Amino acid sequence: MAIHLNRRTMLALAGAGAVSLATPLAAQDTALRLAFIPQENPEKLLGDIEAITGWLASEIDVPVEGFVTIDHAAAVEALRNGDADISFMGALPFVLAEAEIGAVPLLSEVYRDAPSYTGRIFVRRDSGIAGLADLRGRDIAFADPISESGYLYPLAEFVEAGLIDGPGAAEAFFGRVFFAGGYQQAMQAMAEGLVDAAGASQYADLLLTPQQQAQVTWIAESPPIPSHVVIARPGLDAEVQDRFTNAMLQLNEPENRDKLRYLYGPDGYVRADSAAYGGVRDMARRYGLLE
Amino acid sequence: MIQKFLGAFIAALASALVLSGPVAATPAKEAPWLPEAAAYRLTLFLANLEPLPWDDVGTAWAESYRGSEFAVGALAWLNGSSDIGPAPLLNAITRKDRQAVFAEATRLIARRIDEELDRAVMADDPARAQQAVRTARELYRAFADGIAAADPDASRRIGLAWLELNSSTGSAGVLGAGATPASRKTMEAAREVISGYLAENYLVDDFAPRRTLSALPETVVLSGRTIEVPPSLPPGSDMFDQDPLPRLVLNFEEQGIDETDLPLVAYGDMLFDSAQIFGNPAQDLGVACSTCHNRSDVNQRLFIPGASHQPGAIDVDGAFFNPIFNDRRDDPIDIPSLRGLRFTGPYGRDGRFASLRDFTRNVIVNEFGGDEPTPFMLDALLAYMLEFDFLPNSMLTPDGQLTEAAPEAAQRGEAIFNTPFAALGDRSCASCHVPDTNFLDRQAHDIGSVASAYDGARTGAMDTPTLLGTAYTAPYFHDGSLPTLAAVVDWFDESKALGLTAAERADLTAYLETVGAADEPYETFDAENTAFRLAFSELTTFASTLNTLLPQRDAEHILLLTDTVAADLSADASTMSNLAARPEVYALAERLAEVGAAVRGEDWVAAEASWTAFKSEADAIEERAF
Repeated sequence: MAIHLNRRTMLALAGAGAVSLATPLAAQDTALRLAFIPQENPEKLLGDIEAITGWLASEIDVPVEGFVTIDHAAAVEALRNGDADISFMGALPFVLAEAEIGAVPLLSEVYRDAPSYTGRIFVRRDSGIAGLADLRGRDIAFADPISESGYLYPLAEFVEAGLIDGPGAAEAFFGRVFFAGGYQQAMQAMAEGLVDAAGASQYADLLLTPQQQAQVTWIAESPPIPSHVVIARPGLDAEVQDRFTNAMLQLNEPENRDKLRYLYGPDGYVRADSAAYGGVRDMARRYGLLE
Repeated sequence: MIQKFLGAFIAALASALVLSGPVAATPAKEAPWLPEAAAYRLTLFLANLEPLPWDDVGTAWAESYRGSEFAVGALAWLNGSSDIGPAPLLNAITRKDRQAVFAEATRLIARRIDEELDRAVMADDPARAQQAVRTARELYRAFADGIAAADPDASRRIGLAWLELNSSTGSAGVLGAGATPASRKTMEAAREVISGYLAENYLVDDFAPRRTLSALPETVVLSGRTIEVPPSLPPGSDMFDQDPLPRLVLNFEEQGIDETDLPLVAYGDMLFDSAQIFGNPAQDLGVACSTCHNRSDVNQRLFIPGASHQPGAIDVDGAFFNPIFNDRRDDPIDIPSLRGLRFTGPYGRDGRFASLRDFTRNVIVNEFGGDEPTPFMLDALLAYMLEFDFLPNSMLTPDGQLTEAAPEAAQRGEAIFNTPFAALGDRSCASCHVPDTNFLDRQAHDIGSVASAYDGARTGAMDTPTLLGTAYTAPYFHDGSLPTLAAVVDWFDESKALGLTAAERADLTAYLETVGAADEPYETFDAENTAFRLAFSELTTFASTLNTLLPQRDAEHILLLTDTVAADLSADASTMSNLAARPEVYALAERLAEVGAAVRGEDWVAAEASWTAFKSEADAIEERAF
């Protein structure tokens, strides 16, 4: 996108509650500040933020502001220095933020009734590729080198199968390894025959045309990956955390579900279970991202 | 009925997903067109219409396209994100110079791609480089289908270059961990593949004249080769996303008769959903009868730039669908509902066709450029469409009187509806919208709702529309110029000087809303009755006509069926909530395609065997897959 985000604050959007006569919580006499990571059209995200912060402000009686950061690192930095109270985050950056600044998980996204998903290795059905070993010397496109389901977990399947010694040894097994920039780009490259396989989210084939979907299949699937998480900075008042969390859980109610589209489009939220991210911590250690 | 709607909707959605943003945890949503790429594609589309709607071309660049996620149009967007000025393009638009507009717009997009590639190569961190690559690639989307159609080798080369380019931007890692540096040399080499092709094909000084504007590369145009670029609709088009889904009331179904026992009706049902009966571009775009008249009702969202002046309206005798039928008049009409069709003749907004058969043939052959339908096809389509019933309405008796369930205001309004007015020639609303004949009189009247086509013209008469079901078919009048039933009442009161008080107008509106209401206007879905289940049931019903057609060795109509249903079945699998069962549905679709392949090879034994297998497998899926 051509929007050029500053390192930290794109803008602060005051929710309706920010100018309301709502009685602020004693522990939160200033606005609750939410950091968002752009995943698609940043301009649309700004509109979404305005809508959701306005609703949240009315629900928790605290002014709510939202701003877009350029990436996870900027969001974590904002949490660390108090510029943000809460941030939306992927599972991997969360476990690193947890280790680095003591970030607290509040909520996990739910998709298709589960707060988790998987990564898969997709191939074309007419490729003759039946198993991971068949990809020796062949080209593969992953989504991004820091994507859980679009790289780390699918690649680990090759390690588990004994085809790759470990992270960093992928090039010796495959022909070429590309990072396409996203699930859809990786899947499209596979479907069009630019590469032989794609590593992406279990749902990534839904990003292809219906005709293409019928032409692809998957040959390996990772263990469940905890879905994206909403985290709080350490020290955020417990009552504020509760009110925010309870308000977010109201999004599961039928009358509020239409608002989920303003928040990366999950099917709902559940309270986060920190233990569920143990596998991600292990994966981060395996890739040398976490000590 | 639903399967074409769903399948094509997903096709439209997925085709829009040419590019999307960074990695998300779940399926990405539809990627928006970047404003300048959208304006370019709109310009190509509009400039192929005759007469060319120049105002719309200007608007394409000045305003954000319909449904855009971007608040601003291409010009404002360029002003904020690019150093490339649009003055030469705007000058060409002002001069209404079609070739110059094409040349300037094409060069502008190519320069924008280069500009973003420059930014990518110069970026000092991976995030910015990837952002620039992503933007460049989204702009490339404006040319991609032309290159893919004309020059597959180049398309593949460039596709690999995008992969190479993105891969070589490096990674910022996660919070500093796992960061990798960019490879400038690789980036520049990949970029050169893309920029070199752009320079040769889209940044040329003088483009060869084109009869049809498209994104075909210049070198291919100069070669004189005939290249068919698959038809596409421009950004802002909306054909399939209809929610809630209108409820379909079929007479036989309400009586408990199974459609599989009515093969002619079932075949007509299939044809109503088949794009195969139309010519191109409608066929390739998946346009079927049900695209506009979904579930016998109205697709209120349908919008095609240049052919629709508002959602739910379409100019079916314009330049796009069948140029030979282009009447060169900008006269889109509001799509009428087909409910109760056997009671609503004559057909067409002005009642120009007394015969539904003639009307249907005109739609297929003239409006949408299809081949001449066989008598069997027309018989089947009519057999099906004549089953369309009005929506049950418990506030109305069969002879059009209000029941006790109707609100009091409507009861008062009923009296006004039946009151003769001197200004109406001592006629009442009920004189034309006759309650005991489904609120119509099967005649055309000039009520002054149509602007005169020329001095002395007597062309304003429109067929009296039924009032049944109209609570769900807004807007109103032939051109959809009145947004609500209240506006319709106001229009009559003011234009005919009826002298109604505000209270009387409210009561009359309440009456219209009551007459136009229904007990269950929309299809209701839940965990059991899913959209896919409905589609699956309909598609297997369509296929059941093979029980009749195979013994008759009717190859022509068998192939029309298998081509339509196999493709739709496969496409609809993507809408299944039970994703794990998709392969079974793909296999079932292939089984039906095998029937078609065997018939093409005149191997009737194999065709019968595949059909038997299809039935068995369909039954098994029906039991397991939902």
